[in-house]
Amino acid sequence: MEKPVIKGYIRENGSVGVRNYVAIIPVDDLSNTAAIAVSKLIRGTVAIPHPYGRLQFGKDLDLLFHILSGTGANPNVASAIVIGIEENWANKVADKIAETGKRVEVFPIEGNGDLKVIENASRKAKEMVQEASEKQRTEVDLSSLVMSIKCGESDTTSGLASNPATGYAVDKLIDYGATVMFGETSELTGAEDIVASRISDQALRDKFMKIYSEYVNFIESQGVDLLGSQPTEGNIKGGLSTIEEKALGNIQKLGTKPITCVLDYLDPLPKGSSRLCFVNTSSAAAEAVTLFAAKGSVLHLFTTGQGNVVGHPLIPVVKISANPKTVETMNEHIDVDVSDLLQLKVSLKEAGERIFNYTIRVANGRLTAAEVLQHDEFSPIKLYISA
Amino acid sequence: MPHFLIHNKNDNVGVAITDIKAGEEVEGVYLEDLSQGPKVKALNDIPLGHKIALKDIKQGEIVIKYGRPIGKATKDIKIGEHVHIHNIISNRWGKWRSQ
Repeated sequence: MEKPVIKGYIRENGSVGVRNYVAIIPVDDLSNTAAIAVSKLIRGTVAIPHPYGRLQFGKDLDLLFHILSGTGANPNVASAIVIGIEENWANKVADKIAETGKRVEVFPIEGNGDLKVIENASRKAKEMVQEASEKQRTEVDLSSLVMSIKCGESDTTSGLASNPATGYAVDKLIDYGATVMFGETSELTGAEDIVASRISDQALRDKFMKIYSEYVNFIESQGVDLLGSQPTEGNIKGGLSTIEEKALGNIQKLGTKPITCVLDYLDPLPKGSSRLCFVNTSSAAAEAVTLFAAKGSVLHLFTTGQGNVVGHPLIPVVKISANPKTVETMNEHIDVDVSDLLQLKVSLKEAGERIFNYTIRVANGRLTAAEVLQHDEFSPIKLYISA
Repeated sequence: MPHFLIHNKNDNVGVAITDIKAGEEVEGVYLEDLSQGPKVKALNDIPLGHKIALKDIKQGEIVIKYGRPIGKATKDIKIGEHVHIHNIISNRWGKWRSQ
């Protein structure tokens, strides 16, 4: 069989992007205003406002830096502007992004004020967008694709059809050398032993079980009734009754390949060779996609039953649904309709090939529903209160 | 088209793939090999995506889907009944809820 190729942007460090943005990254909430102002003045830039970045400390601060610098380093970003109230933290984020070899400019607000920062950053951003506009898509092997998967507002149609079909596509992508990340730690409850059994390396399996247990122990330590949160109201409306049922549906999208890496919040994605990677994430859609993108995912496959609408400012999020009602009532949000698999009108292979082919088209530049509808959710995970 | 699908031959619940009305005689298909599953008379309305009992399930008995436990019955469930949060509960979370 002919090896499929994608047309992507090869970055300075050899990684491959499927979009070509200039990112405007505020280090903290106070810098959102200036970052958004620059993005309004300069076409081709994308601001990623968020509510954090002040008085965080320890692992929580490390995670914010990891997410901000990882987002700037994402191969979908041609170059980045970092704006922060204080110069030191802004430089920390920028220096990490600069390790990729891409252009980064830093603008501290203290001592300058918003208006001067907006003007100076906009002048640089204009140059950067024009530079980026000359970068061309080139044919690259599918093995350069780093992507991620997650489901949201799931229902029983996810476990019956959209997740197994995505699992088929994931197997095929990994066969061609792509790397696929998955997470949703708490949402593996009831199927965590199945996930663990697919990790052959003992040390990695122990690491996975430690991450899983710590996460669930924290949730249970809160002593609250989780029904309505996990499963969510939407899950319940769609027929999912318990966390175990949701988890067993969830893991259908993992395909059948061995899990060869296990990443905690701060662990970077190892370079080279295709793999199926567990990443410790919350199961909240935007938080998970934000963390995957920060670890280098350039494209996300998102299955939904009841109709989650999540997107990301810098990576395309492909919506896949098998629920015939959702496909009809929320049609503008769904990229790939596999409701015919639920009704057994097509085979798993046919539905899986449909998802695989759509993934290639999106990698080549086709815009997803979430991109066109401006679903630009950027939600760093916060681990605990600020000082 | 079948009315419901069954993930695994050991399952005691099926999943409606169409809106089922109370009193309807409905047919299922096993996803494993697409073979014909049981015929059941629905005792309640069962919306698309919701579960239908394929056997009588006694209070405290395990509810099985994907060939795996997904919780336990909090009351006796009759064959053909709607199975959801009103009559099953997680074995893992929610232990503090009334059982």
